[in-house]
Amino acid sequence: MTKIRQSISAFTSILIFSLLLLGSTTTAHAQLKMFRMEKDSIPLFRGFQVSFDLVGPAMLMLGDHGEYEGALRLNLHDQWFPIFELGLGRANHEKDEVTKFTYKTTAPYFRIGMDWNIMKNKHQDNHLYAGFRYAFTSYKVDIIRDELPDPVWISPSQFGVKDMACSMHWLEIVFGIDAKIFGPLHLGWNVRYKRRIAHKDGELGNTWYVPGFGINDKDNLAANFNVIIDI
Amino acid sequence: MRKIIGILFAVSLVVACSSIDCPVNHSVYTRYMLYQPDGTPDTLVQDTMWVLTMRSDGKDTLVLNSLCGSNATGFSLPISYTQPEDKFIVLVRRLQDPEYLYYDSIIVKKENFPHFESVDCQASFFHRITNVRCMGNFIDSIVINNPDVNYDKDSPEHFRLYLNPDF
Repeated sequence: MTKIRQSISAFTSILIFSLLLLGSTTTAHAQLKMFRMEKDSIPLFRGFQVSFDLVGPAMLMLGDHGEYEGALRLNLHDQWFPIFELGLGRANHEKDEVTKFTYKTTAPYFRIGMDWNIMKNKHQDNHLYAGFRYAFTSYKVDIIRDELPDPVWISPSQFGVKDMACSMHWLEIVFGIDAKIFGPLHLGWNVRYKRRIAHKDGELGNTWYVPGFGINDKDNLAANFNVIIDI
Repeated sequence: MRKIIGILFAVSLVVACSSIDCPVNHSVYTRYMLYQPDGTPDTLVQDTMWVLTMRSDGKDTLVLNSLCGSNATGFSLPISYTQPEDKFIVLVRRLQDPEYLYYDSIIVKKENFPHFESVDCQASFFHRITNVRCMGNFIDSIVINNPDVNYDKDSPEHFRLYLNPDF
């Protein structure tokens, strides 16, 4: 009778131990499975994107100032997008009807910065992103005003300058989206808040249009509409 | 998504537009304040003052007309765009001697700087006063208080004008 009891006790102990062992093996296996599921197989370097803006040329066509602008953007893991933007800003304001001012400038500018994909699922074809830029331009301006008669002394006065050397550094905060249309083609827009950090305005005390920045002020708001191609 | 992008393209064009932001008062004037020798404000009391200048065509023009009364503690005069020196003739008529005009002169020497704000704003000239002198009849002396002349109306007066106490 005692032997039977001992056998039952031993069997119960082996059973409990086996169950515990099985339970722990199953948990470890599940944890390993979960770890494998979360592992991201997307490589870090996902290619380049080139883009060009349509708003700047439209502004040049419809108005007297605007930009031609292109960008090269790296795709790192669909999450980080280091970007280099290069543009040519132009203003040709011919003899204003009221003030009689002519303002001309054509100069390049560049921006360098980074965009972050802020979507939850980053590996989609569409991106929602926020970013920043540092930008710089060095430009020369012609500001000409024909014959400015003195209202009291009636004497003619010359007002104007040619090739006035100016420059500006500024920062931008960018928010935008882009969506895949078909194949390597994406379309997207972004809104930019631009903040001037340093500037040299020349001997006339001020400039009007700054290539890449827009109308000269301490800050500015602008938008781009981009055609983007994956390469 | 594509429709949204189309709409936002139109919005982008609007966002890219700018507004005109010119100074409301872009006139550039010099301001003169009358002082007694001890530095307290002075007035013309019952006297009347006129200021004239000579135009480039040789004709004179009135730039200050009939300044008078106990509230007349100062006045403003125009400043030429590009002349190196502005000459003003100052005339005063005294109440006790109405038949006679006393005269003096103010000569302002300056440097001129064209100032550009925007293509939408009128052109203007800013100045830096380098010297001022008077004939010394009824004006005892005149001194520069603020040499920078622009359209900042909150800046201190440019000249302090001391009338002759014996006048």
